Amino acid sequence: MTMRRPYQIAGSLFLLMAVLVGWQSLTMKFYTHLGPGPGFFPFWLAVALGVVSIVMIAQSTFGPSEPMPADFRPTRGGVLRMATVVVTLAATAALLEPLGFRLTMFAALLFLLAALGRQVWFVTVLIAAAGSFGAFQVFDGWLRVALPTGVFGL
Amino acid sequence: MESLELLMGGFATALQPGNLLFALIGCTLGTLIGVLPGIGPAAGTAILIPIAMAISPTSAIIMLAAIYYGAMYGGTITSVLINTPGEAASAVTCLDGYAMAKQGRAGAALAVAAIGSFVGGTVAVGGLVLVALPLTRFALRFGPPEFFALMIVGLSLVTGLAGRSLVRALLSAILGLMIAQVGIDPVMGAPRFTFGHVELMDGFGIVPVVMGVFGIGEILFNVEAGAMAVFSPQISRLMPSRADLDASKWPIVRGTVVGFLMGLIPGVGAIVPTFVSYAMEKRLSKTPERFGTGMIEGVAGPETANNAYANAALIPLFTLGIPGSPTTAILMGAFMMNGLVPGPMLFKEHGEFAWAVIASLYIGNIILVILNLPLIPLWVKFLKIPYGILMAIVFGFSVIGVYSLNSSVFDIGIMLGFGIIGYAFRKMDIPLAPMILTFVLGPLMERGLRQSLEMSQGDISILVTRPLSATLLVIATLVIVSSMFRAFSAVKGDTEV
Repeated sequence: MTMRRPYQIAGSLFLLMAVLVGWQSLTMKFYTHLGPGPGFFPFWLAVALGVVSIVMIAQSTFGPSEPMPADFRPTRGGVLRMATVVVTLAATAALLEPLGFRLTMFAALLFLLAALGRQVWFVTVLIAAAGSFGAFQVFDGWLRVALPTGVFGL
Repeated sequence: MESLELLMGGFATALQPGNLLFALIGCTLGTLIGVLPGIGPAAGTAILIPIAMAISPTSAIIMLAAIYYGAMYGGTITSVLINTPGEAASAVTCLDGYAMAKQGRAGAALAVAAIGSFVGGTVAVGGLVLVALPLTRFALRFGPPEFFALMIVGLSLVTGLAGRSLVRALLSAILGLMIAQVGIDPVMGAPRFTFGHVELMDGFGIVPVVMGVFGIGEILFNVEAGAMAVFSPQISRLMPSRADLDASKWPIVRGTVVGFLMGLIPGVGAIVPTFVSYAMEKRLSKTPERFGTGMIEGVAGPETANNAYANAALIPLFTLGIPGSPTTAILMGAFMMNGLVPGPMLFKEHGEFAWAVIASLYIGNIILVILNLPLIPLWVKFLKIPYGILMAIVFGFSVIGVYSLNSSVFDIGIMLGFGIIGYAFRKMDIPLAPMILTFVLGPLMERGLRQSLEMSQGDISILVTRPLSATLLVIATLVIVSSMFRAFSAVKGDTEV
């Protein structure tokens, strides 16, 4: 197994991005009587990205391929663990203001530690409480870094 | 003489109890960040920016700079004790440091590393003091064309030296510049790539992007790999023997020179001077075949080079406004958040601040050597924290750090998006450093180019008709051509092998 296909796919995605950015930049002012407009820089960056993407695709297609690292393809367990982190972070972002920092972070850390931490339950609860109620006291209370309190005042 | 007087003034500020306390906190946190595998110095520095926002700019930068070079010290501990570099620059230390640990000489390895780091760091700060004023006076002659050309030099060095593939490094650098395009355009004030989101009008923030790429990306990478191990290393006698000190003397001197010179070049990356130093020690040794089996020279040289580099890398940042690594780019972001722009004007407009931070580097180096020698057994205890708990701590700090800057959950979403990008880039072996550096430098570079073209009423030849900018552009071209030549030679070499 080699890295040929992953780099071909990545190169194609970057090329698509270059086309989209280039097209978007042409909808902006390219040049004004004062000099380059807002579209000037993005347009040339899109051109540069397009060229480098094509080189990447060409290199991976016609050049020698690097061997694929043994751990390149994630296992099912690996994907699940990553999904746990991604979903927890997305849920934290969604609930932080409605529920407040303390409740949201307590739930998020409890879930993360239960799912990935492999700790005994009281350690899990202790860390979740320290990372939510304790962190709120330190940051909001002492360091005056404003954190949301939500509808329950927590 | 003038520099010395200003430095003394800087010491008067840096030695104030509040600033001293934040230097101590920074050194402690930095060492901790370096010790804990899974939190790099870039993410660690970014996480703590919100705390820095709550204190005075001088104290904030003193603390963040201390975290930066403290992490360089701390990274050594894990390299020696568990064969896992706490940060990339300590990777080469694993070779002989871990071998020494297996022979029961971990204490000597760590002590020599701490002494070497102190010498390297202190000499490099001395260099900063010497060159700061002449270099900034020279840079004050720069107009927009020279500034643009200087940024091109910085970028050429970054892309030429980052990673194993020039194409991937270039891709990363261009993407960084593209990310920097989002938001209000710096000259005409027109929105670009905001897609109607008010939150994007100011562009992507440095902290959400860095925290995503380095913090969340690292978490995703580690949980995918199932990195949940707990380490229980043991250390014996702490102090090195007379023979150890004799053997380390010259490697420390050479490591200081290598690290300092390489720190002056933006984009070299902390890992390069350590490998150069290791290779140099091996070449100069009478017993090169014994390297990798526990030679103290293999620890002393690279560890000294590592810290000399870290401190010297602040020279281009302070004097020219060019960050040489992702961590110094974050430091630059922290400067800007405090209304301070690194570069020649920093010394002119905020001289007291600049010299206080430089003085604090001396103090920080002393604090670190004090922290590192007697407290090694304490740091070892932190290695026993399971990764699951560590990840939860990074997760919590990331959310607080990113949210608190603008009180915006949108920024948490941006961090998540860049976390996934960071993970994907790691998997694809696309270097992350060029992207972060160009992301920070992009707006400055664009402003330089557009102001130059306004000055010349659209005539691009302004960049090559002014001697300084022309010289800088020639340097950039030479760097790019030599990088391409090296890349092609490497490909040819691979094919022939």
